[in-house]
Amino acid sequence: MNLLAFIQRAEAYLGERLPVHKLSYDAMVRKKEVPVHRLSWGYYLGGLALFFFAVQVVTGLMLLFYYQPTVSDAHASVEYITEHVPAGALVRNMHAWASSMMIAVVMVHLLTTFAMKAFARPRELTWVSGAVLLLVTFGLGFTGYLLPWHQIAVNATKIGLQSIEEVGAYLPGALSEWPRLIKETIQGEASVGQATLSRFFALHVVILPLTMVAVLVWHLLSVQLHGMSQGVDEPPKWKEKFFPTFFIKDLSVWGVAFMVLFVVALCLPFESFYAYPLFEPFDPKGSTPDGIKPEWYFYFVYYPLEILPFWVVLLLSLVAGVVLFLTPWIFRETSRRTLRLLAAAAALYLVVMTLFGEQIYRLFKG
Amino acid sequence: MKISFHFQWQWLSLAACLLPAALGAYPEYHAFVVKHSGRPINCAMCHRHPDGPDGAAPGQLGRLTPEAQERLGRARSAFEPGVKVDSPILNEFGNHMVQALGRKQLMELKMAPEQLAERLPADSDLDGDGIPNVREFLDGTHPLNRNDGHPWLLFRHNLSRNLTQIALTLAATAAGLWGLGHLLRGFASATQLKEEESEDS
Amino acid sequence: MMDAFLFVGLPYLSLLLFVVGCIWRARREKFTLSARSSQFLEDRQLLFGSTPWHIGIGVVLLGHIMAGFLPKVWSSLLTVPGALLVVESVGVACSLLAIVGLSVLLVRRLTSGKVQAVTTPADLVVVGLLLAQVVVGLLSAVHYRYGAAWSTGTVVPYFWSLVKLEPDMTYVSGFPPLFKLHLTLAWVIILLVPFTRLIHLLALPLQYLWRSPILVLWNNARRRREAVVAVARAETRREFLKGAAGVAGAGGLLALGVMEKGVNYFRGPQPDPEVEAALLSKKLQRLQQTAEERELELERQRNEMILVARYSELTENKGKYFIDYAMAPALAFKDKDGLPLLISAKCTHLGCTVGSEVDSQGRILCPCHVSYFDLRTGRPNEGAPAKAPLRHIHWALVDSTGKVVARKAPGKPLEGTVDPATLAQCSVYIVKPRSNAA
Repeated sequence: MNLLAFIQRAEAYLGERLPVHKLSYDAMVRKKEVPVHRLSWGYYLGGLALFFFAVQVVTGLMLLFYYQPTVSDAHASVEYITEHVPAGALVRNMHAWASSMMIAVVMVHLLTTFAMKAFARPRELTWVSGAVLLLVTFGLGFTGYLLPWHQIAVNATKIGLQSIEEVGAYLPGALSEWPRLIKETIQGEASVGQATLSRFFALHVVILPLTMVAVLVWHLLSVQLHGMSQGVDEPPKWKEKFFPTFFIKDLSVWGVAFMVLFVVALCLPFESFYAYPLFEPFDPKGSTPDGIKPEWYFYFVYYPLEILPFWVVLLLSLVAGVVLFLTPWIFRETSRRTLRLLAAAAALYLVVMTLFGEQIYRLFKG
Repeated sequence: MKISFHFQWQWLSLAACLLPAALGAYPEYHAFVVKHSGRPINCAMCHRHPDGPDGAAPGQLGRLTPEAQERLGRARSAFEPGVKVDSPILNEFGNHMVQALGRKQLMELKMAPEQLAERLPADSDLDGDGIPNVREFLDGTHPLNRNDGHPWLLFRHNLSRNLTQIALTLAATAAGLWGLGHLLRGFASATQLKEEESEDS
Repeated sequence: MMDAFLFVGLPYLSLLLFVVGCIWRARREKFTLSARSSQFLEDRQLLFGSTPWHIGIGVVLLGHIMAGFLPKVWSSLLTVPGALLVVESVGVACSLLAIVGLSVLLVRRLTSGKVQAVTTPADLVVVGLLLAQVVVGLLSAVHYRYGAAWSTGTVVPYFWSLVKLEPDMTYVSGFPPLFKLHLTLAWVIILLVPFTRLIHLLALPLQYLWRSPILVLWNNARRRREAVVAVARAETRREFLKGAAGVAGAGGLLALGVMEKGVNYFRGPQPDPEVEAALLSKKLQRLQQTAEERELELERQRNEMILVARYSELTENKGKYFIDYAMAPALAFKDKDGLPLLISAKCTHLGCTVGSEVDSQGRILCPCHVSYFDLRTGRPNEGAPAKAPLRHIHWALVDSTGKVVARKAPGKPLEGTVDPATLAQCSVYIVKPRSNAA
């Protein structure tokens, strides 16, 4: 195929994926309709994830006024916020709970869009941008976890980064050094310390949020231009108007989510779910407390790492990653029924491994 | 070949080793709490330093000023209950236990740690989180940390404490959403009217 | 004596007459259960009289009822900073509104000829009493400020003591005469309800609040066309009113609750000197810890050998922690043959610090994922998550003169001789590893 034809085809492809001609008030507001069917509840999840992200940005900015990203002051500054700043404990707890809620909603959003085949043509690039957003979200969770610089933060980060280094054992020859070098670049020094904290802080506060916003712009623009996907195989019998009906319902979901977050953050400190030694300031010379684990949203990969051989988990993760990004092309012909089954199976795995991972691990290890 | 003589506190810890033997950690209590609550704890529940009184870090025996040594001596000799002590190696909960039970009982109860919970004052709540110290001891949560406790008990206590704030926030959110919804509907019906008017004319 | 009559006798009399009288009137003369409106005689002054009067007194009475029937909720609502001020201000504003309205109504009764023709003495008594009551109430609120707060401890328990038939007038007998007048007038007004136009309290058209708008079906085309537009217009207006009310309410609550907290958050804490001192000392402690760590790093850069411990401090069963040249934790033991045994305490699995206690099988335990490391070989047990052994560390024994007596690199034999007699005076050092292992 000659260059001219290729470029013309590429342009047509892009034009269909990003129909900017629909960027009109009429198409986007006045005439937009949302299908009503039994999976319509899934349409609210993306907006809910956006809502939690907004909460994170606001509470994060507030925390930024008092947090100090140095090894000697980080833990003390977080304690200062919790104990002394008026409403500081609430802001911090909201930030912690909203991060978990955001990741939970993002995962359900992933599963429902998969099950509804929302990645079908012409929405492929929406899906790919969503996969990127997923990685950025997990990155935000991982980098943010280190910032309080307590025992579980530093040790769990060490363990997480160690997994990168272990890939080196499976690479041939000179390549086997690369994972260790990559890990040390991420860490900034030989072992997790001030350099790590500084760059994780930069990542968490500036780089990843900017990336998130940039990709979100594409993702949201894409969603708004294409409109809500059909979701089920049968053309919907009812459609409700996006404005004002669906929009009001969307806002109500946000209101409920806010109330739940507020009550939980006000009344339930997230650290009460963990043993208190885990939140003591990190002491490199003392002993490591029991119960070091990554955050709950990593359990689905952490417990398999503990139970299965490393190469098995590595292989499965690589396959999962490839499938995630290439879903619109891999599952192009798949029926929605099959997709729903796959999503249900994935959901089952995620729920079981997250809730019962500890018990499963003990079962295997005796 | 350069040699370093850096760790001077070593001499202090050496001196500490010469002190009478009935000092140091109480592993029986530690083991009991871990077994009873299922939560891992460390010495910081009663002591100043998470690794216990042995050592030369702040809050441990190897790093006491003469004034602190004096306080330690007075605390050590409080065998009967009722004496207010301020031991430099114990935190407020540890000092509270010495005051409530006396050192003699504390050492005796090592053999029967479950009874410690029964003998301590049942209504004392040093961190004000709504969970009495004895309950926190049995649950393996820190009795001096307001944010550490059995999640359900903490939630219940904080919920009743903050009910006014929650009610007002709920009222504000509900009113705001209700109002916003109606505003949007008004806007929609107005634009529809305008559309119909322009269509009619 | 007077107090007993005014605050026990009169209330019971009023309540009795109120209950009996209302029931009688509702059953026997139910068509008189109205205010006998004179709107069709004169409606302009009525608009400017009745509306502010009813709105004003409605809000004020609502506050009284909230305090009376939900005292705990009311008190806790008033603990929100600024809430008391808002409540009192609203109360004063609404009572002024009520007074203005009542005055207009009174003037209307006295000056409009048509209305005079249907006015009874009872009407004038009622409007006069009501006016007096609201004025006295306003004066009480202004002179004895924050009644919204103190009423829950005095008037409310007094009222309930009457209802519970255990009258306790000590709650109110100490009040100044102005307020006692307010209480007395209240009982008098209640007493008069069944005998006057005030009976319309029982005929409040509350259903209007949720009645749907009346739909008129026209039977000619022009009206039908106009109706479509009119309905839409009315509906839009309704929606905007509701919307504005909701958003304004939310905004008001937000202003009350969030603004102050937000400002305080950004202002930061204003701690007292003691707390400030404690915070600073904690900060100092942490800084000192960091300084110590930096010193350790510098020491490892500069020195070829670093002191770990005096030989006499080492034991066989409990290791002494130290920092090795890699700034990682390490343990120093005394081996069974009397020589020092120095081993890295950084678990080869995921880097946790290994524990210092030696168990009966000569192993130390890493608590994170349970790997047992044999002390002499450094190897982890079968099936442990850790696969690689802990490495031993190059140590040197230095006597009291500073001379190196013996040293042992891992994997190499012992260099030098160890004399048991002088061992107690020796110190154990770690030796800086060469950059490339020979």
